[in-house]
Amino acid sequence: MKKSLSKQDFLRFLDNLISDDTLDVFGVKAKGKRFVFAPLESSSELRLDYDVTILPPKKFFLPQYETLLKFDVSRNSVSHKLDGKTRVVVGVHPYDIVALQQMDKVYFNSYVDRFYKQRRENTIIIGSDILNVSDRSFAASMGTHVVSSGYDLLVTDLGDTVVVDVGSEKGRVLLEKHTSELRDVSEKEVKRVEELRAALPGKYKRSLKVEKERWREVLGNSYDHPLWKELSEKCLQCSSCTMVCPTCYCFDVKDEVSLNTVDGVRVRTWDGCLLPDFSKVASGEVFRKEKSERFRHRFYRKGLYLPERYGFVACVGCGRCAIACLPDIADPLDVINSLVERKSEAEGVLRFSIPESKAAAEETDYLPRNAVIKRMEKLTEMETLFELEMEDGEPLVYEPGQFVEVSVFGVGEAPISISSPPQKSSSFELVVRRAGNVTSRLHSMRVGDRVGIRGPFGRGFDVKALEGRNLIFVAGGIGMVPMRSLICYVLDDKKREDYGMVTVLYGSKTPQDVLFMDEIKEWEKKSDVTVKLTVDTCPEGVCWDGCVGLVTSLFPQVRWKDVENTVAVVVGPPVMYKFVIKCLHTMGVRDENIYVSLERRMKCGVGKCGHCQINGVYVCKEGPVFNYSEIKDLPEAFS
Amino acid sequence: MSKNVSINVEHVTRVEGHGNIVLNVKEGRVEKVEWQVSEAPRFFEAMLRGRNYWELQPITSRICGICSIGHSLASLKATEDAFGVEVSEQTYALRHLAVNAENMQSHILHIGYLAAPDLFGVGSVFPLAKSEHKDVLLKIIRLHRLANEMSDLVCGRTTHPLTLVVGGFTKTPSEKQLMELRKRLVEERNTTWEVAEAIKKVADRLPDFSRETEYIALSSNKEYALYDGVVTSTDTGEHQDYRSYRDVLQEYVVPQSTAKYTKHNRESYMVGALARFNINSKQLSSNALDVADLFELKPICFNPFMNTVAQLVEFMHNIDDSINWIDQLLDRGVREEKPVDFKVKEGRGVGLVEVPRGLLVHDYTFDEEGRCVKANCVIPTNQNHGNIQKDMEAFVPGLLDKPEKEIELNLEMLVRAYDPCISCSTHYLKVEFVR
Amino acid sequence: MSKPRVAFFDFASCEGCELQVANLEEEVLDLIEIVDVVSFREVMKEHSDDYEIAFVEGSIMRPMDEERLKKIRSNAKVLVAFGACATIGGVNKIRNQWQPDEVLKEVYGDADLEGNEFFDVFKTKAVDEVVKVDYYIYGCPPPREEIKKVITSLVMGKKPDIPNYPVCVECKKNENVCLFELGKFCLGPITRAGCNAICPSNGRACDGCRGILSEPDTRCVEDILERYGLTYDELKHRFTMFNYGREEEK
Repeated sequence: MKKSLSKQDFLRFLDNLISDDTLDVFGVKAKGKRFVFAPLESSSELRLDYDVTILPPKKFFLPQYETLLKFDVSRNSVSHKLDGKTRVVVGVHPYDIVALQQMDKVYFNSYVDRFYKQRRENTIIIGSDILNVSDRSFAASMGTHVVSSGYDLLVTDLGDTVVVDVGSEKGRVLLEKHTSELRDVSEKEVKRVEELRAALPGKYKRSLKVEKERWREVLGNSYDHPLWKELSEKCLQCSSCTMVCPTCYCFDVKDEVSLNTVDGVRVRTWDGCLLPDFSKVASGEVFRKEKSERFRHRFYRKGLYLPERYGFVACVGCGRCAIACLPDIADPLDVINSLVERKSEAEGVLRFSIPESKAAAEETDYLPRNAVIKRMEKLTEMETLFELEMEDGEPLVYEPGQFVEVSVFGVGEAPISISSPPQKSSSFELVVRRAGNVTSRLHSMRVGDRVGIRGPFGRGFDVKALEGRNLIFVAGGIGMVPMRSLICYVLDDKKREDYGMVTVLYGSKTPQDVLFMDEIKEWEKKSDVTVKLTVDTCPEGVCWDGCVGLVTSLFPQVRWKDVENTVAVVVGPPVMYKFVIKCLHTMGVRDENIYVSLERRMKCGVGKCGHCQINGVYVCKEGPVFNYSEIKDLPEAFS
Repeated sequence: MSKNVSINVEHVTRVEGHGNIVLNVKEGRVEKVEWQVSEAPRFFEAMLRGRNYWELQPITSRICGICSIGHSLASLKATEDAFGVEVSEQTYALRHLAVNAENMQSHILHIGYLAAPDLFGVGSVFPLAKSEHKDVLLKIIRLHRLANEMSDLVCGRTTHPLTLVVGGFTKTPSEKQLMELRKRLVEERNTTWEVAEAIKKVADRLPDFSRETEYIALSSNKEYALYDGVVTSTDTGEHQDYRSYRDVLQEYVVPQSTAKYTKHNRESYMVGALARFNINSKQLSSNALDVADLFELKPICFNPFMNTVAQLVEFMHNIDDSINWIDQLLDRGVREEKPVDFKVKEGRGVGLVEVPRGLLVHDYTFDEEGRCVKANCVIPTNQNHGNIQKDMEAFVPGLLDKPEKEIELNLEMLVRAYDPCISCSTHYLKVEFVR
Repeated sequence: MSKPRVAFFDFASCEGCELQVANLEEEVLDLIEIVDVVSFREVMKEHSDDYEIAFVEGSIMRPMDEERLKKIRSNAKVLVAFGACATIGGVNKIRNQWQPDEVLKEVYGDADLEGNEFFDVFKTKAVDEVVKVDYYIYGCPPPREEIKKVITSLVMGKKPDIPNYPVCVECKKNENVCLFELGKFCLGPITRAGCNAICPSNGRACDGCRGILSEPDTRCVEDILERYGLTYDELKHRFTMFNYGREEEK
């Protein structure tokens, strides 16, 4: 439905919105020589002739800083409630509307983000056709210079008159409530709008040399293109490009405590994959170490990973990153065009598909459930076992290999693998290695103290697929933690007959670092279980009757039978995988019969924050357990 | 009475910076009484050598954490004087707000956090939080917060201001923000009065000591001078030529101090709130004069301990004066203004401002590219060091029959009354660069 | 649990960092609930050498200061360098362009200072050039939020989370017009964040008071300088306000 208003009546309509106390009205205003979305105090401030705003309207739905929950260090946390007041955002350009539609797919996809959803529901978008084109924009090449949905109202400022396209019921109600001067749009006006839109592509100075549908192909063949190193050498790693991007939605979460050290808030804030600490885990490991890897990741995320996952190119051609980047190396148009022009130098093929994972239908507000520490057992100098019980008495339903996000309010959250086999009670076990702030704090807690639990998250071991198979478990160090959950499950008397021979190969640093020694001795006693242990070094004076050497040195000690029907499960430090998998290949174990569990920085646990990405795969969602064949071609998986 | 006293207070507490008090009395005879300044010299002259004109404000601001706005204003005025820059009326008004805000912040810090503990008989403000005086402490904090938030609004930040630049401001507060500030200022008059009454109740602890001396401050026919005015002495009257301030503020070096001393008509003089009160009290707001009446403070008062009371009087005046300037700004309408255009040129400029502790002078000489080739700053605390020494010499004989601890406390209180800013006074700027 | 005993000390500085503690306003009352302030010369008369956490403001300029600092280090379990002068030397290092005797002569002229320890000055040092520093609170002055964050972290026994990314991140979140576009030379892209980009947000170029994170590649700098019409000398000069001598050390 299209209507029209005289310019004056349109401004009066805006002033009516502004004076309506039930609404918060934002619009495009000048800030120096640039433009921003900011609260409108009068319709005269609105600048529909703007080219592009410094920040996209993303900030209205995923604010720069946002409280997720409030807590009291020693007791409870409560979800943060939004005030729910209706907001009107005036002047959103088509490319930003497209970006919001993309963000909807991400934030409404499995584990619907409650904060984002509420903000979307509370906000009325009044779009605007582009009147002036930004120098650095290439929206026409991306097909985002015009839009036919995704707005509540869309206005076209024709100078003397404003044509209003009603895109939703919400928009219609708002329009009719705040103006009585609506006219039926004339044919002439419709034509003028069409002409204005038709003339737009000609106003763009810059265009892509390859259509956006082919970005996947171009990037898929350019993973090791020399361009990445060339450009990234100039990168300041300031992450300005991601901050101003309408399709960059990665975030970090931090606990802020008041000076009384009692109450505080958990805050979500924008993060950027160009920053060196983005992929850093508590142990200090950084999974994208090189500047060129981080620089490349941003383009692959936009042009290959998200298209593979959601079906859209995560760039709308707004040109904000190009404006923000001081050395001017961030412009996707320049980068894609360079890759096309310099096709002959292309190197490195990247092909992948996203492993299947269960979509979670529920909403999340990131609020943990309370759990009480029932038992603590120091296993080694670094590792302590915690038996936790959910305070609400509801069992935690999980599969072997899944993880939970453990909250220590005031310190933060950390992903921890569950080490107990699935059981029907409300208690479960975690083994925590002291590494960062959260885990250190857990170690100093006492029985009876409370922690928060979110999850379980991710994909665990497919126990059905293992049925009828011989199983080899290869664990290194703390890799025994998730593996113990599975081994106990398999060795359980009720399940044992579903599985074949079991072999456990386990390597630790020193004899003092071996986890679950007592249980391992019980396993050893069973006739259908072979256990081999090794340590890297054995300090003098320590009693040790296992081997000394790497875990790979255990392979020749076992007589393998029926390899065709054998499945291997490998969990250990990053450096271990390559060597163990080589041994398995030598034995004749096929890729499809190897399962691994990987560690990354799983911050949100629900596939949104972006920290745990291995190329285009989310460890928190498709992992942490993977079939080796699913990820063996991902360069970031085992580097 | 024949008595031996040996007092050596290393690093007097609750003052800004490091100073020592040494007193030796042998058989009733004062052998040595000395106010020493042991603060590490910071050589700001080297910091300014060859610096661009626009770097002088951020660097000289770092002379002092408490009066960084004052240093900034003196710095900008000196630079603007050298280049012949005329600032807009709006800038002039906003700078008055800045100078008032800092005076309030510094004065309430001194009155409440540094001087009041002596009057309440405690070592610091912290114990007051758990005493019957908690209520007063909360009011003092309220006023301190008001002053800081006012500085934040006008200057971007209270310590080391950001928006003050040559020719104007980089950011202007909105009318809405100014209206909110005005409302707060009006409300806090009452709080100020309540704090004054609470201080009055314990004011008998201020020693009754007087020594005739010279007072120097800016004065103006327009207003109670803070942002600008003419150098005026209680001994010799007005000195119109601001560029020859050195004829009045004469500096000299003493061995017990890394800060220079100054003198004028007598062997020492005093600057600061009491000096301003003694010279300009007629221009105070009526609310401020009410505070003065409460303490029976009248010009000319020769009791240095009354400096703290004069600060309280000024605090009230600063509130009233700020309200006036906000009204003027709102009447005229506040605009987002850019700093005025100007051309750099070779030459000298001098900026004088009354800062919380007294008269501050920045004096720069620039080359044709606007780089600083010569700089001099005269700091209020430097000007007071000599007077502190002379007061101490006059104060000690009357104290000798008291216990040593009490003599010590009295001498410390004397130093604190001046609210010295020792970091400032050891900045050392006076140097001619030889290239 | 007994409250940690905390002491504040200052060396060559403007004492603005300590003032920032007073500037916590009402929250100072929270502060004294969670820690025992046993020494804080600027605001209290009492003093004790028995403390666990020492906050040290200011740069080190003289042997007598160095000695005092070493004593503080040996008394304290945890030593926090507090503010730009302490963490990186700050403006106090500007004078390191010249020899100490040269600046002394310039300042004090021919006055006889021989043997006067007040005037026995060496080149300005940051605190960690004299003793081991456990934690750093950056900035001139340090932001109150960061002061609170470090104190609460130390009291709660966690490592303070100090940003390891540049000011641009915060500046972009504040939606400022980039100062390079206004022709100003801003050090934001290479300076440690945590200040909420307070200078750019007030229309002022970043001076790098929280320290330089990493020096940019020469090629990158050249491109930027060309794009915005700035010179390399200017960049080097910009470093000298708070980060003088950085090039020589690294």
